[in-house]
Amino acid sequence: MTASYIKFPYLILFLFVSIGFAQNGTSEDYQFLERNETINIKLRKGKFNIVKSIHEKAEYITANKLYFANEVLRFDSFTKLEDIEAVTNLPDGKSVEVDYIETKHEFDDGIFYSDQQTKNFTFPAVTKGAVTDLKYKEIISDPHFLGLFRFGTFAPTKKAQLTIEFPKNVQIGYREFHTENIPVNFTKEETKKSFIYRWSVENVSKFTGEEDAEAALYYLPHIIIHIKNYEEKGKTVPVLSNVTDLYSWYASLAKQVDENDLKKVYQIAEDIASKYNTDVEKAEAIYNWVQGNITYVAFEDGLGGFIPRGAASVCKNRYGDCKDMANLLYVMLNHIGIPSFRTWIGTRDRPYLYEEVPTPMVDNHMITATIIDNDTIFIDGTDSYVNFGMPSSFTQTKEALIGITPEKFVLMKVPKQPSDKSKAVINTTISFEDGKINAKEQRILTGYEKVDFVTDYLYKKKDNTEEEFLNTTLALGNNKTKYQNIEVSPLESQHKTLTVSYDLIIDNYVKTIGSKTILNLNIDRTLSKEKIDIKNRKYTKKIDHQFQKEYTTTFQIPAGYKVTSIPKPIKYDGKTYGFTISYEEKEGVIIQHKNIYVNSLRIEKEDFEAWNTFVKKLIKAYKKSIIIEK
Amino acid sequence: MRTFIVILLCLCSTQAFSQYYKDYDWEKNPVLHQLSEQEADESSIAIIEKYIIEYYEPKLGGVIRKFETNHTITRVHDEKGIKMHNRVYIPMYNVKKIVDIKARTISPDGKVTLLNKDNIKEVKNVEEYGDFKIFAIEGAQKDSEIEVLYTLEKQYSAFGRQTLQQDYPIKTLEYHFISGDLEGQIKPYNTTGLFQKMTYNNRAGLKLILNDIVPMIEEEYSTSDANKTAIAYQCFGQEGVTEALLWNNVVSNISEGMFPSTPNKEIKKIVENILKDQKQDDFTKAYLIDDYVKKNFTVIKNNNEQLSDIDYILKNKSASDLGIIKVYGHFLTAAKVEYLPMITANVYQQRFDPEFFNPSSLREFLIYIPETGNYITPDRIEYRLSEIPFYILGNNAMYINNKLQYSFYKTKQSDPDYSRVIRNMNISFEDELEAVKIAQRQEYYGYWSITNRAVLNLSPDQSIKEFEDYLTGSGIEDKVVKSYSVENKDITQLEYNKPFIVNSEITSESLLEEAGDSYIFQVGKVIGTQSELYQETKRVNPILMQYPNHYDYEIVVTIPDGYNVEGLESLIIKKELLDEEGKQKCKFESNYTLEGNKLTIIIQEFYKVSEYDIAEYDTFRNVINAASDFNKAAILMNPKE
Repeated sequence: MTASYIKFPYLILFLFVSIGFAQNGTSEDYQFLERNETINIKLRKGKFNIVKSIHEKAEYITANKLYFANEVLRFDSFTKLEDIEAVTNLPDGKSVEVDYIETKHEFDDGIFYSDQQTKNFTFPAVTKGAVTDLKYKEIISDPHFLGLFRFGTFAPTKKAQLTIEFPKNVQIGYREFHTENIPVNFTKEETKKSFIYRWSVENVSKFTGEEDAEAALYYLPHIIIHIKNYEEKGKTVPVLSNVTDLYSWYASLAKQVDENDLKKVYQIAEDIASKYNTDVEKAEAIYNWVQGNITYVAFEDGLGGFIPRGAASVCKNRYGDCKDMANLLYVMLNHIGIPSFRTWIGTRDRPYLYEEVPTPMVDNHMITATIIDNDTIFIDGTDSYVNFGMPSSFTQTKEALIGITPEKFVLMKVPKQPSDKSKAVINTTISFEDGKINAKEQRILTGYEKVDFVTDYLYKKKDNTEEEFLNTTLALGNNKTKYQNIEVSPLESQHKTLTVSYDLIIDNYVKTIGSKTILNLNIDRTLSKEKIDIKNRKYTKKIDHQFQKEYTTTFQIPAGYKVTSIPKPIKYDGKTYGFTISYEEKEGVIIQHKNIYVNSLRIEKEDFEAWNTFVKKLIKAYKKSIIIEK
Repeated sequence: MRTFIVILLCLCSTQAFSQYYKDYDWEKNPVLHQLSEQEADESSIAIIEKYIIEYYEPKLGGVIRKFETNHTITRVHDEKGIKMHNRVYIPMYNVKKIVDIKARTISPDGKVTLLNKDNIKEVKNVEEYGDFKIFAIEGAQKDSEIEVLYTLEKQYSAFGRQTLQQDYPIKTLEYHFISGDLEGQIKPYNTTGLFQKMTYNNRAGLKLILNDIVPMIEEEYSTSDANKTAIAYQCFGQEGVTEALLWNNVVSNISEGMFPSTPNKEIKKIVENILKDQKQDDFTKAYLIDDYVKKNFTVIKNNNEQLSDIDYILKNKSASDLGIIKVYGHFLTAAKVEYLPMITANVYQQRFDPEFFNPSSLREFLIYIPETGNYITPDRIEYRLSEIPFYILGNNAMYINNKLQYSFYKTKQSDPDYSRVIRNMNISFEDELEAVKIAQRQEYYGYWSITNRAVLNLSPDQSIKEFEDYLTGSGIEDKVVKSYSVENKDITQLEYNKPFIVNSEITSESLLEEAGDSYIFQVGKVIGTQSELYQETKRVNPILMQYPNHYDYEIVVTIPDGYNVEGLESLIIKKELLDEEGKQKCKFESNYTLEGNKLTIIIQEFYKVSEYDIAEYDTFRNVINAASDFNKAAILMNPKE
């Protein structure tokens, strides 16, 4: 239950929109007076000419946040930016034009090379009362990428409007998201040659992110538009009218995958498979080989961002991104006779179903689906520490588009993984000596509990020592807890469990007051900080995975002491989440048994109270100490 | 024919003798290197990192040429090691020509994979770093060696700086500085290693060899990046270039327009307007000017050269970090406020060295107002005329006066009591000892108030929420905030060091633990989570706190009727660090008085100076950790019999 962060970057960083809440701050200092977008579609001899005209007017209500004057417009090989006109209109009636625009590249932690570039400029002379006016055109070279339009954004918007004008022989599809609470005014017009659709809204308040929330697209009011098809010479030519169209486009790209020189790849697959008997074992061994030998490096270069690199090259270079690894697995598994399929999927950051909006907006990732003994197993080459058989945590519940043949596909949901697959079993022995706690602890982790620990251990630890890492991550006892004799079992995906063990010395923890020594056996207070601020929280709480924790804590009663108080057992069964804690005294020891489970990936707003009851009860249970006296 | 061959040979040999990089190459048939057990345990380790900097003056005159060669062999042992080294970024800043870029991997079974040069990508104009050539290493797997070798010809520049210490261990590091007959010198930093004279193909040079460089550890209260092993060098095409000449050159380059003889007319009017009916001391005047500029101008970092042109700046109200100094120059001159532009580096990135000129340390431009001892920080919107920003404090800096003379000073705070936190708490118990109620007033002064105001005014809502949580008491997991309000939140506060004030009331159940009929009150937790210097290993970096600090807390606890208290001795803590004269440099002291049912706890903690020697680390740590000790303090409340 560590705070979620992106572990692995995904297939496509979408071009037209910067998804996610902007890092910018509160709204009272800055607002959009207008945000207008007009998409003009022309079709000539089967070739589309698509131009988006954007017009934004923003007002500086105060001079507190002049940094909003820094504007960044993105483009890549599918888009061109033209006719950028930017001007600041000052309260005294004067205006100053932007006369300097720089083209830049950005480095991205996740994507090694991207053809995305930016146009950067700063509105001049902004101050209190200034209104900036920005106009530009975006030329879209591929009709599959119309993008999305946001009715709301990081700052309040007085008026937002999307217009699309298209020839009468073209059909478009559209779908609004999260506009239930804002009245969208939709109109249709007709001219001699074209249709004009228009959506407008007024006074949309700003949107800001929240901790542990789903991605912005789960809340932000927006609309997705796509070209369904067009008619030419009496025939209907499909573009993206349904999932079939989307899939046949994907399949046409997949056809371009380089399938030469596969001899070596086949050889590796055969060598691995020959050591095993069953298909499951073979597939698992191949998966583990890819996990252990291919490193994640992502390139986004035009359509190359959509077409996997050939398996031979990935194998030789030893690196690839999600689609490259998915394709390599697909080639290797099929070669040894295990039916496997290239699979497109959106990570949990994307809220759409394919049927809702059959466009590339739905997905941002690629995996492999394999069928063994009639079971569909989702394999993700990018999540290096997931055991074979479990999908990557960030694809759970998502709809997968499985390509069976170039003509045939299947849509299937990636199952939510039950909590017993992600388990932490914690055994602790505690003794009390010279006012200090000495403890030996062992944690056996499986599933996503294991993946989370490994990812943190490898990448969050940074330059810290192992001791410091455990001190801040596990936070056992208090922040004076010392960790010694740390041992971590091998991390790789072929190991089903991960064992972490260490000794603890906890100073300033036990309270000895008068004759009484008071000791709290809950040195691990997991979930105690997870209470939801119901009054202020706007969005659902996201949970990365379902899990169980089982603690057995044995306290050795020191010689000469007797136990005078043991807490009563406590249980809370909230159906989807709960815990039990009980204590027993026997033969010189007190044993605490504690089980906690969370069987949900999301806490909905109507369940906030129930969740808080659970956390409050847990905190209350954590408060109970044992007392020993001489 | 024979003559021709001879001449050709001569040409080749002079060429070969002149430029060292031309002879330099990697092993024809590479083999894996032997590593010790400990070395084999690292995620990755550089076996060699070699830098060759070569200045070369063509025999027939002309511009000096400069070549940089970089050669590394790195063993990678696991996924983390591979990920750290399999993506290569080569900066193209000032590069005239790429002589060669090549890379290969040697797999554990000795197989060599050579980089396909077609896979080298170009990226243009990245942030403020310029262009890059980037590529992914091909064929890297666990336990293989990655080798990268490239030579670039650069535009002649007399200066350079290079950080040598990395985030991974380096077995052998070689630095070769070849200047031939040209006047050149090189200075190592943060190492005991020394450069030795060498000849390279009959050309004079200097060589530094360092073995077993450990990765720099990030320690709390340290400037670990600035403490990394580094070198800086100079190489001139003419003789007799002195340090004084170089610094004077900086002054004349940048001071143009910084001291206008007559201020711009428009600015003069604005100044008259903003100073009307205000006090006429330098603090007030400079403060109001700073506030005006921050609310009307923006500082921009890009390649637009016009941003240092005063006419362009005044029209567009946009300036570079240097250009904005000129704006202040006009404003301050118009207001008749004395000022000194000041140049230095961020103390966490680089130590400014007045004895060895190096342009990469000329990064931060500030303005010193001598009459008040305060600074204007033009490119930081959260600052108004104040003490020197903490990220500069303690670094050396160059100050320029209006006669265009320069001097160096180590920056320091003018008001030793600038940063203080005063907290007053009243604690009582509610609902038959179910919950603790804490009413609190906090006053934040100095840097504290700057940071608090910056967060609350400029951060995204989500960060503001988190910050409000911190302001009402961190680490109290089930806290319920009953009330919360702040005073003096605006960034603009004309009154000198006006405190930022928080009033809050919270309740918590978790602060009271049950133990039979008694209650344990975790009173220490009410001061919030305190940082604990955890480090058990030997301290590497000297201590630098962000700024001197002073805390005064008073906590009044009303013990509920019918209860006695026990265990008050855990409230008495005293830790201090004394200087040679026995004066306290820093201390933590807590104590209590009990009158009837009123328990009053007093805490005083201060750090009078921000810098401490490594030798003082243990004592310093005891003082820092004392607050964390207090945080664990608890008292027992027993029912009266």
